[in-house]
Amino acid sequence: MSRPTLTAISLHRPAQTSGVDAATISRAKLGDIDAFTAIVEAYYARCLRFGRGVLRNPDDAEDVVQETFIRLYRALPRYEERQRFEPWLFHILGNCCRTANKSGHRRDVIHTRDDRAMARTAAPDVSPARDEAEWADAVRRALAEVPVYNREIFLLHYIEGFSYEEIERMTGVRRSALKMRVKRASDLLRALLSGRNDD
Amino acid sequence: MTDSALDPLLERAIDALRALPSLDQARVSRIVSAAAAARLNAAEDDASVAAPLRSTMPWPWIIGVAAAAALIGFVARGALVSRHRVESRVAPVVLSPQAISIARAANGRGDAESMPIPKQFVLDNAHAARVALVGDFNEWNPTAAPLTRDVVSGLWTIVVSIPPGRHMYAFVVDDSVFTLDPRAPKVKDPALGAEGSVVIVGKP
Repeated sequence: MSRPTLTAISLHRPAQTSGVDAATISRAKLGDIDAFTAIVEAYYARCLRFGRGVLRNPDDAEDVVQETFIRLYRALPRYEERQRFEPWLFHILGNCCRTANKSGHRRDVIHTRDDRAMARTAAPDVSPARDEAEWADAVRRALAEVPVYNREIFLLHYIEGFSYEEIERMTGVRRSALKMRVKRASDLLRALLSGRNDD
Repeated sequence: MTDSALDPLLERAIDALRALPSLDQARVSRIVSAAAAARLNAAEDDASVAAPLRSTMPWPWIIGVAAAAALIGFVARGALVSRHRVESRVAPVVLSPQAISIARAANGRGDAESMPIPKQFVLDNAHAARVALVGDFNEWNPTAAPLTRDVVSGLWTIVVSIPPGRHMYAFVVDDSVFTLDPRAPKVKDPALGAEGSVVIVGKP
């Protein structure tokens, strides 16, 4: 039996469009603060998820997301309706994340494994919820090992649901290079998580 | 190039990464307040919001389109000069310094329940020269929150951050005319001795 591909899976899972209608965006463009609040409420969680995935220090994500929305609101009068809103928002967010990652004040998160300290801790909770939480933590740690230029594209494509065509327009990187970055990120994630599964 | 073959491990990892963080309403209020205050500096050019310069259109197409556009522009020039120019750019709502200070104050960390929430007030009055917002949130001070006239819509507007709860307010037109908000309910305020407009901010 042939194995499914990532492409096939992504077709079964449509892009996670948070959704604000065109009228709301038009009202926000005119300065309607309630409409802008609706936009922030619709996209805040997705932006925070993306920021935590891309930033060297995930604790900076809230500040970077705030900066993104400030820039968005300031630029909204220049927004043209023929543009797609979500790619534009994530284009701004990506730029803010890259700026934050380049910042000289960055505090890289270092994960260490101390077996002696682990031995002193209480016996682990083996409930399914605990297992899921540990798995999610392991995935986040593995993702942090993926080079940021591959990680960003991987997240845009598989987590935020943007097509390669949209990411090409957002980033200016050619489609063939985008696919290569996603493949490299996938390969590294798989390798890192396979090691965990073997424990 | 095709995508990597999927194994259940990677599929499960993608599922884990798709989990969304919860919505922090206090954080949303802080973001909106900060954005409202920052929009005052709209003149600042921000390169981070511009789309990438690289086009996916092939070069021969670009040259062809540019040549066609130049030709059309040359031909149409004479026909269009007498028409009124349409201003396509929408002017941003400009906030008063008082509103900005209120919004900036709201940008700090605080108790989520009492966090001021940005609220927009709008008055349609084509004949007014000046409009101010007065209410219990600014001690009914007519100089605290002057509205700005939007050049496109002609509406008077202001955004102020107000603590959650029920508030009474009104507009003062041309420094003298106490005007209720026609879009809001009105009640008689015993302390004020007159009717005022009512706004409920946050969850009732």
